[in-house]
Amino acid sequence: MAIQVPIKVFRYRPGTAPHFERYQVTVPDDATVIDVIEGVWAEHDRNFMFRHACHHASCGTCAVRLNGYERLPCIVPVTEALAGRQELVVEPLRNFPLVGDLVVDVAGFFQKQAASGLVITRAAEATLSGQPFAHSELFSQAGALEERAYNRFENCIECGICISACPTMAATDKFWGPAALAGIRRATLTTGDCQEKAALLALADSEQGVWRCHSAFECTESCPQDVDPGGAIMSLRREIVGRKVKHLFGAG
Amino acid sequence: MAAPHVIVIGAGSTGAATAHDLALRGLRVTVLERGEIANCTTGRNHCLLHSGGRYCVKDQESAIECIDENLILRRIMPDAMELNGGLFVALNEADLAFREKFIEGCEQCHIPYREVPVKRALEMEPFLNPGLLAAVQVPDGVFEPFRFCLAFLATARHNGAVVRTYTEVTELARAGQFITGVKVLDHRTGKTQEIGADLVVNATGPWAGRIAEMGGVEVPVAPTAGVMVTVDQRLCNLVINRMDKPADGDIVVPQRLTSIIGTTSWAILDPDQIEIPKAHIEKMIQKGRELIPAIQRRVTRGVGAAARPLIRKANTDEREVSRTFECFDHQRDGVDGFVTISGGKTTTARAMAEKAADVVCAKLGQRAECATRTTPLLSYRLFYN
Repeated sequence: MAIQVPIKVFRYRPGTAPHFERYQVTVPDDATVIDVIEGVWAEHDRNFMFRHACHHASCGTCAVRLNGYERLPCIVPVTEALAGRQELVVEPLRNFPLVGDLVVDVAGFFQKQAASGLVITRAAEATLSGQPFAHSELFSQAGALEERAYNRFENCIECGICISACPTMAATDKFWGPAALAGIRRATLTTGDCQEKAALLALADSEQGVWRCHSAFECTESCPQDVDPGGAIMSLRREIVGRKVKHLFGAG
Repeated sequence: MAAPHVIVIGAGSTGAATAHDLALRGLRVTVLERGEIANCTTGRNHCLLHSGGRYCVKDQESAIECIDENLILRRIMPDAMELNGGLFVALNEADLAFREKFIEGCEQCHIPYREVPVKRALEMEPFLNPGLLAAVQVPDGVFEPFRFCLAFLATARHNGAVVRTYTEVTELARAGQFITGVKVLDHRTGKTQEIGADLVVNATGPWAGRIAEMGGVEVPVAPTAGVMVTVDQRLCNLVINRMDKPADGDIVVPQRLTSIIGTTSWAILDPDQIEIPKAHIEKMIQKGRELIPAIQRRVTRGVGAAARPLIRKANTDEREVSRTFECFDHQRDGVDGFVTISGGKTTTARAMAEKAADVVCAKLGQRAECATRTTPLLSYRLFYN
């Protein structure tokens, strides 16, 4: 069944005043909010700017503020987003430079992600059903069979939702931010190199690192991938303090 | 003398890889994309790094392209893929009867494979249908399409290419029989602009026909949609395929914490307006759970569809159309300085780019050889440096 969805969208171009515009978009009743956003472009205004690619919460491009909260519109059903409301309200992420309409500039964010040292793939959980795998025989880069662990992409899809939700990011864009600090935390867990680990911890142990966080946990609350950046920041703090205490007593 | 300037229209996998190839050969490159990178066909593909197993019986030309490119991409983009292989599983007597042809096909297309005993297959994949009769492992893999394109474009930018997103081509500029550039609308500013070029490459996938029309030529590209249904749990480590010729809902691709079931195939007229038939979504769940019964208990996390750019041949069903690609030099249609590269798959994007760049360089009198087979790509994140 097709339904009419009223949507109020943030519109902006450099040099003009930001404002909202209202549209009606027709979508199937099982559509997600990204289909409605795409409908604004398809049915009403081909100049409308928004980001999207995969439509299954893997690319991380489509993140917006939906009805006041950070969401990936590709995995929010329209009926759920409209429940108890007159209209959908869609705005760009906060704490990023605006480019146009819903599009924000993610360059600075990805530069911090690159500096965090997080490798995009991780060793997969051996257990899909609780039974550990002894070993895996997989094809190598040259196409020959070799024994190695399964791998998979990291949970973080670099969508920027935690940056938008973070009250500290609102105060300063110098702050490393939840995603990069969570990346540093993951990198400290996966590296086997003591010096590299020390360098990663030094990155986090800075004025704009873990100590700038106000422990609001909005990042953990809003993360669509259960990365728990807030928890990662707390773990980094404990590890950094633990090392300092050890060092103080001459054990480091 | 400055190097020739080439405009590449489209920043899906074909455009991204073509920009990289041309920049590596020393040409000046500008990529024009009307939206976000990988916002359509590439973005919403199945994320499958094909081993070629899927095509090794019915479409061996594509199968060989896939395995060749698979082994190259493993080397040049090693950290950005889930390289866990794929299993082809037989669930009934008909599938079992296909097994011999499948293995023969793997051998003919030089696809590495090994037969996996049923008991071992179930140890590897505990959620697999316990009634399976046979399993064969091949080097399938999983990528993330947006980052796949970013890696090519990051490297292209490093080599001097300019990438402009939200910049839509509205007209091709023409002088006599030559395409001399494009007219664009920059959505960021609302301003139109002419950009001159020595040659224009049309890498717009299912939109190739529309861009070709701006140049007064035709290309035989048939936009053919396919639906992907993603469920909210990772139910396998390997890609799970049905051991049969390609059909609806016969493959489950795991990615991150999810499983993506695909796909269907239906011809469409306008790639900007794809209505997903509800029956297709139900069919994905129904067919997917034949492979992995637990799919039935999972919640749908996302549904997407995009159009493939199939090269049309007379009198063939879309499932029977080869997944191979073609490069069209429109000089043969009386229009010079204009090349279309279309068809293919994201897995074969680098090979498509090589073919297109060979044609471009020959036309522009450039001698540089293709170097993309052995050049490692930069991290996708460096696209934003």
